[in-house]
Amino acid sequence: MNHQPKTAIILCTCSGIISEKIDWEKVRTQLAGHPDKPVVTTDELACGADNLEKLAAWLKEQGPERVVVAACSPREHERTFRNLLTAVGINPYYLQMINVREQVAWVTADPDQATRKAARLITAALQRVGHHQPLMERHVPVRTDVAVIGAGPAGIQAALTLARAGRIVTLIEKEPFFGGMPVRFEELFPNLECGPCLLEPGMGELLHGPESEHIKLLTLTEVTEVKGSFGNWQLTLRQQPRYINPELCIGCMICATVCPVRRENRWNCGGELAAVDGPFVGALPNLPHVDAGHCLKLNGRECGACLAECPVEGALDFNDTIRDSVVEVGAIIVATGAEELPVSPPVFAGRDNVFSAYAFERLLAMTGPSGGELVKGDGSAPASLAIVQCAGSFDDVVTYCSGTCCQAALKYAHISAAKREGLTVTRLIREQVVAGVNAARLFNHDHSHVIRYRGLGDLTVAETPNGRVITCASSGTQIPADMIVLCGPTVPSQGTAQTARLLELGVDDAGFIAPIHALSGSFLSPLKGIYLAGTCRGPGDIREAFASGTAAAGVALSELVEGRDLAVDPQVAVVDVEQCAGCKSCIRVCPYKAISWNEVAKTADVSDILCRGCGTCVAVCPAGAITARGFSRAMLRAEIEGVLS
Amino acid sequence: MSCQTMPDRAPYPAAEVMSAGAPTEVRIVAFLCNWCSYAGADKTGMNQLPVPAELSVVRVMCSGRVEPTLILETFQKGADGVMVLACHPGDCHYKEGNLRAFCRAELLERMMPQLGVNPARFYFDYVSAAEAEKFSQVTNDFVASIRALAGTDSER
Ligand code: SF4
Ligand code: SF4
Repeated sequence: MNHQPKTAIILCTCSGIISEKIDWEKVRTQLAGHPDKPVVTTDELACGADNLEKLAAWLKEQGPERVVVAACSPREHERTFRNLLTAVGINPYYLQMINVREQVAWVTADPDQATRKAARLITAALQRVGHHQPLMERHVPVRTDVAVIGAGPAGIQAALTLARAGRIVTLIEKEPFFGGMPVRFEELFPNLECGPCLLEPGMGELLHGPESEHIKLLTLTEVTEVKGSFGNWQLTLRQQPRYINPELCIGCMICATVCPVRRENRWNCGGELAAVDGPFVGALPNLPHVDAGHCLKLNGRECGACLAECPVEGALDFNDTIRDSVVEVGAIIVATGAEELPVSPPVFAGRDNVFSAYAFERLLAMTGPSGGELVKGDGSAPASLAIVQCAGSFDDVVTYCSGTCCQAALKYAHISAAKREGLTVTRLIREQVVAGVNAARLFNHDHSHVIRYRGLGDLTVAETPNGRVITCASSGTQIPADMIVLCGPTVPSQGTAQTARLLELGVDDAGFIAPIHALSGSFLSPLKGIYLAGTCRGPGDIREAFASGTAAAGVALSELVEGRDLAVDPQVAVVDVEQCAGCKSCIRVCPYKAISWNEVAKTADVSDILCRGCGTCVAVCPAGAITARGFSRAMLRAEIEGVLS
Repeated sequence: MSCQTMPDRAPYPAAEVMSAGAPTEVRIVAFLCNWCSYAGADKTGMNQLPVPAELSVVRVMCSGRVEPTLILETFQKGADGVMVLACHPGDCHYKEGNLRAFCRAELLERMMPQLGVNPARFYFDYVSAAEAEKFSQVTNDFVASIRALAGTDSER
């Protein structure tokens, strides 16, 4: 270094606390002989408001290019002194603080040693500041629009909350209908409230209320690519054709009645749908949807029954095509949900009248395949019902509790008994977890028999002349079981797995999206600008879904404020493109996915918005191509040389 | 993140390497991560626990920033001992920088004899923001052990 910049050194006595141990006079004498000729001042209490003013005046008078402050911990006062530098027109990153209070005066018994140590650290800082570069905090505007992926209760709630605050929301749903799981549940634990009734006001508001102006609901849509970072995400979307013009269709469903094709109704777990149809009465939006796989016309065959009968010209639109689009948003809320893993243990496989919890839910529903009647496959009434809880949980298939199957089983027991007088209901449990004030209500009205079993391997099934019986091998208990409900484990939905991959979000052992902190940050992903709601984070009930939807929207609102730019810390990593060898090592190690690959230049590229300046990439780069601003190799070397000199 | 060994550290065997005799001035550089270990060093000060005067702290944002070459350079420039103190596993402010630092430390320790540096001159450990006593303990033990090494090994 040919020109040693003029450096000012501020020595703080901290009202005598520091100078009790460190003899600043001695240090000053020593510094007077320093070849760099720094200017030095001693201050009583450098962080005090009055003293800062005095120091500002002194700095202005001295006109240094760098400043070293020997005082307390930079963790406490670095910002104070950066502001001081800014105030006198010196770049705030030309500062180096030495912590002589906590780390010298208070821990060194011998004043002589303390003084020498302080002097050594100051020498190192003097050497270090020579390598400091002027840095500027950058301000970037952020978009305040938000994309919500998944239109179940959590996503709907998030979208409505954001729209009420005036935000533009794109709500992305891959099914032709929205509302997620609970909208298909007729009665909800614990008050047997009607699921659609609970959700439909919000759904209606979203489609037709004042909020609808701010919310764009895209059904049959998936996210195919995500680029960008906090404040500036770009989502590429692909919407499958519905073959229905939503502006024109009046939802009369005449098309469905005349369509000659029948397909399985996968939303209803039973029953059939026409090729053009809606899954069940009340599904929203109130539009049919043409299944391209089954529609005769779309498969090149002679048909057009629906077209002939549809009362509205143009409502059916067989020219509809895939629509690709891009939305630009400031934040993304992931609400892609969970699903029941249908288990079919060998003992139950192939037997009739065995239901998954979801299929049973639909069986009990008025809009379900049996119109809400509790009947066996042959239409006859069951005499007994066995509900196997934790079917596959606790190490059989998954290791954890699904959190809602006790609730669901209590509900099934209650509703089934009410539907069929004299029905024998047995709940097979491994554990029973129904917490909360309201839960007790249903719990106290439970008339089912409760049997504890030891996992699916503990059960055998036999058809006897008196009906079907499940035997619990461990206890020898026999359970009448004309109908069997297997409450399978809750697992991440396909959408959750796919979205986690797309956004490069980490998942936990079970495959749910891992939040930044399980307790204090359960709505936050590790990536700024991506928030989490609902069961994509793990099992939860509808109450949790509503709460987390609101919470995620709240975080997005607080972090993306209209007119408030994003302040970007300049102390980030930068890649010297000349040096980069293109090995991509840094991309792999960055914990914040801040480094991307520049295809054109064939070099790594750090996003200063995403980078948090940890320096991990600096340490792995074999080419030495990355510099951590504020903690560069040159600065650390100078500091090391200084303390060893 | 994967590493061959579990990121646990045995306490430094200070007693074994300590020898009687007059204290020698040694030069120790300690790289501390800003969030845990540096805060732990601050807490040591607040609790007025002793830290050897020979120890010079170099603050880095993350222990994962400290590459082995920087440690070797520190020895080359005349340090008698180098410490890297990191956040506890699972507590890293940057998710897993401390585990990377741990893996590198393991590797470096194995390489050091071939480079002519006694591995006993290098020390890696986890010190949280709350562990004032541990900070005081490990720094004192390490400095004592380095002092005891003086004269016993001429090479560094
Ligand atoms: S580690 Fe270094 S050389 Fe490799 S891609 Fe990153 S910047 Fe380029
Ligand atoms: S400094 Fe850390 S956060 Fe920034 S790019 Fe490098 S590894 Fe990523």
